[in-house]
Amino acid sequence: MHPAFSVIFFTVTSGAGYGFIALLGLFNFLYLGMLIDKNTFFICAAVGISLFTMGLISSTFHLANPKNAWRAFMRFRTSWLAREGLLAIIFYPIIFLYLYFIYIDFQLDYFLLMQTYSLIIFVLSIIIIYCTGMIYACLKTIPQWNTFWTPINYITIGVSLGALIFFFILDFNNYNIEPYKFYLLLLIISSLITKLSYYYSIRGPKHDIGQATNAAIKLKTTKVRLLDVGHTGSTFLTDEFGYKVAERKLFKVKMFAIISGFLAPFLLIYIHSFIFENIIFCILAISLAFLGMVAERWLFFAQAKHVVNLYHGSQNV
Amino acid sequence: MATKQDKLSFTKNAFTKNASKLPEFENHKNQTTKNTTCYMCACRCGIKVTLENNKIRYIQGEPTHPVNKGVLCAKGNAGIMKQISPARLRQPLMRKPGSERGTSEFVPISWEDALDMLTERLQKIRETDPKKLAFFTGRDQMQALTGLWAQQFGTLNWAAHGGFCSVNMASAGLYTTGFSFWEFGDPDWDKTKYFMLWGVAEDHASNPMKMGINKLKERGGKFVAVNPVRTGYQAVADEWIPIKPGTDGMLALSLIHVLLKNELFDWEFLVRYTNAHYLVVDTPRKKGDGLFYRNDDGIPQSWDLEKNCLVNAIDPKIKPALLGKYTAPDGTPLKTAFTIMTDRYMDDEYSPEMASKVCGVPAKQIEKVALEMAHVAFKETIEVNTEWTDWTGKKHDKFIGRPVSMHAMRGISAHSNGFQACRSIHFLQVLLGSVDCPGGHLAKPPYPKHIVPPIKPGKKVVPGQPLESFPLGFPTEPEDLAIDDDGNPLRIDKAYSWEAPIANHGLMHMAVTNAVAGDPYEIDTMIFFMANMAWNSTMNTSKIRESLCAKNDDGEYKIPFLVVCDAFDSETVGYADLVLPDTTYLERYDTISILDRPISEPHAVCDSIRAPILKPDRDVRPWQTVLVELASRLKFPAFTTDDGDRKFKDYKDFIVNFEKAPGIGFLAGWRGENGENSLRGKPNQNQWEKYIENKCFFEYKLADSHKYYRGVNKDYLEFAKKSGFTGSTDPIIIELYSEKLQKFKLAGQGLYDGPQPKKERDQFRLANFFDPIPAYYIPLEHRCTFSKKYPFYAITQRPMFMYHSWDSQNAWLRQLQAHNYMHMNIEKGKELGIKDLSWVWIESNTGKIKVQVKLMEGCQPDTLWTWNAIGKQKGKWGLSDDANESTKGFLLNHLINEHLPCADTGSPVTNSDPITGQAAWYDLKVNIYPAGEDEQFGVYPNFEATKDLPGRPKEKDILRYNTKKPVRLSRSLIDILTKGGFE
Amino acid sequence: MRLGLVVDLDKCVGCNACAIACKQWNTSGTSGSLTDYKPYGADPSGVFFNRIRHYETGNYPDSKTVHFPMSCMHCEEAACVTVCPTGASYKREEDGIVLVDPEKCMGCNYCAWACPYGARELDREEGIMKKCTLCVDRIYDENLPKEERKPACVMTCPTTARYFGDFDDPESEVSKLSSKRDGQELFAELGYKPVNKYLSPRKKVEIEKHEICEPDLVRKVKDWVNKVVEL
Repeated sequence: MHPAFSVIFFTVTSGAGYGFIALLGLFNFLYLGMLIDKNTFFICAAVGISLFTMGLISSTFHLANPKNAWRAFMRFRTSWLAREGLLAIIFYPIIFLYLYFIYIDFQLDYFLLMQTYSLIIFVLSIIIIYCTGMIYACLKTIPQWNTFWTPINYITIGVSLGALIFFFILDFNNYNIEPYKFYLLLLIISSLITKLSYYYSIRGPKHDIGQATNAAIKLKTTKVRLLDVGHTGSTFLTDEFGYKVAERKLFKVKMFAIISGFLAPFLLIYIHSFIFENIIFCILAISLAFLGMVAERWLFFAQAKHVVNLYHGSQNV
Repeated sequence: MATKQDKLSFTKNAFTKNASKLPEFENHKNQTTKNTTCYMCACRCGIKVTLENNKIRYIQGEPTHPVNKGVLCAKGNAGIMKQISPARLRQPLMRKPGSERGTSEFVPISWEDALDMLTERLQKIRETDPKKLAFFTGRDQMQALTGLWAQQFGTLNWAAHGGFCSVNMASAGLYTTGFSFWEFGDPDWDKTKYFMLWGVAEDHASNPMKMGINKLKERGGKFVAVNPVRTGYQAVADEWIPIKPGTDGMLALSLIHVLLKNELFDWEFLVRYTNAHYLVVDTPRKKGDGLFYRNDDGIPQSWDLEKNCLVNAIDPKIKPALLGKYTAPDGTPLKTAFTIMTDRYMDDEYSPEMASKVCGVPAKQIEKVALEMAHVAFKETIEVNTEWTDWTGKKHDKFIGRPVSMHAMRGISAHSNGFQACRSIHFLQVLLGSVDCPGGHLAKPPYPKHIVPPIKPGKKVVPGQPLESFPLGFPTEPEDLAIDDDGNPLRIDKAYSWEAPIANHGLMHMAVTNAVAGDPYEIDTMIFFMANMAWNSTMNTSKIRESLCAKNDDGEYKIPFLVVCDAFDSETVGYADLVLPDTTYLERYDTISILDRPISEPHAVCDSIRAPILKPDRDVRPWQTVLVELASRLKFPAFTTDDGDRKFKDYKDFIVNFEKAPGIGFLAGWRGENGENSLRGKPNQNQWEKYIENKCFFEYKLADSHKYYRGVNKDYLEFAKKSGFTGSTDPIIIELYSEKLQKFKLAGQGLYDGPQPKKERDQFRLANFFDPIPAYYIPLEHRCTFSKKYPFYAITQRPMFMYHSWDSQNAWLRQLQAHNYMHMNIEKGKELGIKDLSWVWIESNTGKIKVQVKLMEGCQPDTLWTWNAIGKQKGKWGLSDDANESTKGFLLNHLINEHLPCADTGSPVTNSDPITGQAAWYDLKVNIYPAGEDEQFGVYPNFEATKDLPGRPKEKDILRYNTKKPVRLSRSLIDILTKGGFE
Repeated sequence: MRLGLVVDLDKCVGCNACAIACKQWNTSGTSGSLTDYKPYGADPSGVFFNRIRHYETGNYPDSKTVHFPMSCMHCEEAACVTVCPTGASYKREEDGIVLVDPEKCMGCNYCAWACPYGARELDREEGIMKKCTLCVDRIYDENLPKEERKPACVMTCPTTARYFGDFDDPESEVSKLSSKRDGQELFAELGYKPVNKYLSPRKKVEIEKHEICEPDLVRKVKDWVNKVVEL
């Protein structure tokens, strides 16, 4: 699939944003919120909201007819994209009301209600990331996406990125980060493991030209080969689905994604936490993680092969 | 299907409780529908054109039309894009004074000035030496008019494009059975059970062929395809015979070998309907050898088995011997024609094993196909119970049908052995008795004609006078050749000379070369109509392009004046001194006449017209109108009254009132003063209107008793004579043995009482190739090309969606194919280290080209092939300079020499069939090797873009054709919010 | 009703008539225009609803070429409809035609991603996804003659390799053909239940061979006896 930058940016930043907000909700739910002063909390929330808002805005850039973008939530009954859109829209009043409640210290009077609210924020954020993942995972036409690892990756990566930023802000504001080091490292490692599991699960072709045509051609010979695609120029289909990239390049990008997106942040946070504390490591870890995730997301698209390619000359996808 | 349609028609009920009611999409009140005839190729289907807001909403096939019965091909469906093509010429143009020819520098000129200038020039030529005008037309459909015009002008130098298209098919048929393929005959699609397709890639006849394949398949008949390449029709064939190009004649004769060896042929058919029983003089190397033994009245003789004596071969009631050697009372040794055939074809020379070596087809397959055909012909015979009378007066209660049929086209004809190969195929049909019988190969009226039509080629040029005959005709003996007393050609293309004695369609492909060489003479003015001689309609394109600009020492062009008439900005337009812009097919009146290239169906006499659908939005005129205008200005006798006045107001008037013979005109329908006569009758002043009322075509259905065996069917023969199709009711006896060819052979052998060739080369060609019964011979170019140096055959095919529609580079069709590849067998490619889609050099003994290669399974391993005429010159046809047609598209023509590339020919001789002058496009032999690493893009040769024509529109980046603001579909909000569950 | 097409691969000669007829009808129809990009320039392309691919199976000389037309299959479980976030894509309950409401489409391409058959093409000029409508603007038009109320591709097909009708009606031509010749679905395993069916190339027609003379019985011509046949 063609890796459109707007979509890469959208999935990475909105994932990070919701992941961050999810952690904020979780923090409050686990009573940890009260350790953070309001200002810092609002900075955190602002960063999270900005991230997913930027992502959402970016996602409209790939629309050919953005004036109808507002309709995108109409078919929440069946469409994961609509669900994501609808929840993303609904999330705004919910998160703002939540922030308002925090601002007015609502929890002092209605503790249980706010506990529930925090849990809702957490769950809803995760669900939104899940929806984003499901936008891709539900497509049977793209076997490299059509796996449960896809939403899991989206969630673990989104939360990891959010956690990195959260960690950094807390550290920067001289909070005691001691209790979170372990969890952050655990998050990064689990996101790496789920990503590697994803890569393992999508190895090798999933469909071949036989499935696309043999049933109809039904000749005894198993070998079917495209002779002529029927047009000498490109078409919407070849432009949209015909993205081809050399295996070598894929491998390089994959290595970069794994190193920059997972291993380097892990190492840097580890060094920062246990060996040599310097906030620069944190900044570096976040930057590399984001870069790595952009690469990971690029790969997510570039590696994905739409089955329509079987009609355009691919022997398998 | 009817039930289905009924269901759909009352869907209104179904919509009552419907959330997405459909709007009224089409505003029919704002639409009008008119009929005319398609011209996207030469198939001539009936079309129904719907107009909306003065633009074409839709072109569809006319359901009642005899040719296409409602269907329409890709080209026909793309007519709108031809109509709006930016390549359309917009106004008459004159080469800019002082500019060089070929640079495409033009200035506009008014029609009046253009016609004045042309009239003056032509007048001078006509009054001094009419043959100094050469007039060649492309695949036009008005050869009856252009031929008449040339005849009236008085020049011999006229021909249409048949000489490089398929004259071999037409001639072989007309010299053998009296009809041929495509326009002359069709398989009996309604009854045939075994269909064999020879050398037809994807083209003629477009829709009828496809409709026929459907009928065959519905009936469960077998479809065998003979073609080196498996694309197009071959894809759906039950059996594919990947033959080596140029060897089809051998295959046909080997099939005949198998049939004869097993005594599987229609004995009665041969005796009754062919000249196989005629007695031939058997005196080798003596004068008169190989001619029919005739009595004193000149009537050929047969041996009567009961009377045991010579009898007139065409007398009813005789019982002639088909086989045997006899001696005439005067002692002349004789043998029947059939004996000569059995002697030749039963020889091992034509055994499947030998043929296998030549054709690359397994011997077993050859035998199998022959025996299958025999089975269908003789064991699955069909009978049509209709009474009919044969020419002898004998009554029959049924037509016997042998349901084996064939169609053949360019793959057979475009070889230098094509005439004899095609004759071989006809032989096969005749042996099976499947000629004009139920289930067999049917003639289409006005065919069959007598063998051959009694029109001799014109010879005598008299200043100021029409020719005494038509420029093109049918020679039957050396006396008919258009040569002078010294044996030199009289025609600029050397048709009807010793080089190409029965060149019935001329040799358009030689016209430029010969004119520039002044061989046989120099000319003054050349007119090209719809003939792209500077590109795909010529051999040796690069050289011809130079030739068109060649000058004498005095600085005058060797072709002093070049007039090009076309509707589109072709490569040739760039070389014109005067450009006369034609209309598109949707803007003019035309006739598709029985006098011309008919559109009849086997069982219906048909013709049709074109009537304008749209008014031209440019300063253009229909070429036939211009021809009538010029003819009137030049006061051609047929166009001038006895008082010297203009006879015809315009083209329409000419068509209505011109009579070739009393009661016979261009259009056969609604003749007679009030339109009461069909086929023959007085001119009807409302004839055009009648055609328009009747969907622009005329169909006269034949009586049941007229449908088969027409060459020997008494009632039909009388009908044909009455209708002016033929000149007599004599039976049309199939000429298996061609005495006509034998006369030329004798001339070559120096044994003929009459004109004989002087050049050794011509003697050799006549003596060896003018066989009275076909023999297989290796195509001429192959004979002198080293197979080691040029091991591959190279041929072109025509894509279904593009052939004949390559004028205008249609915006929709070119999306399917904007450039071509050279295809080759995948294993062969691997063997030679040639990768799929890599660039390669292709070399012949004439030149080389660099092209992109594509590998495929379905290609005979010794064959390279590409799509014809996809490549274009940069900047032409309204295309941008970077269009794929010029950056990646290519022509094979650069590799093909117009002269036979053999050293032993003495003076140059045309690279054509030595009998008919059919251009031998497919004889090409080439070599292929990978291009260098640094050569992996771009074709060679590539030509500079020429200057834009005045007023050329800028090509658009976006095209959004429509005739109205669309009425959109709409889905309600309620529906959106409520339909479908959660998943 | 369950309207759809039957495509007979045994008869399709790959002529593209259906593809161009489709283009022609629809460019001025409800989905019009079907934009063309660089129509006279390099790499011309444009919106088509029906494309013909060409395949080869087997090896020379036993290879077989198959022409393969593809357009919207009007799936019963149309994933393109399921995934459409705006509701622009829908499947009509009355006849199963899958359509796009151009006023509501936001051009996200998501439906095209969901379609395994490449049946949807974005019109980049309008920013709207377009697709085969089964000529919904023809088949119900009562101002057209009954026999012309068919999709343009079916009307024009010169080899009658395309049939249109209601698969819910067991008596319809499409139902009968499909059951008689074991109509196939493309990519059935994806579970979208495409309505359009493909008829596979038939087995080679086998014709009996005429019996032959045993080699030792092959007679020389001189042994043949002239049959007495009166002209």
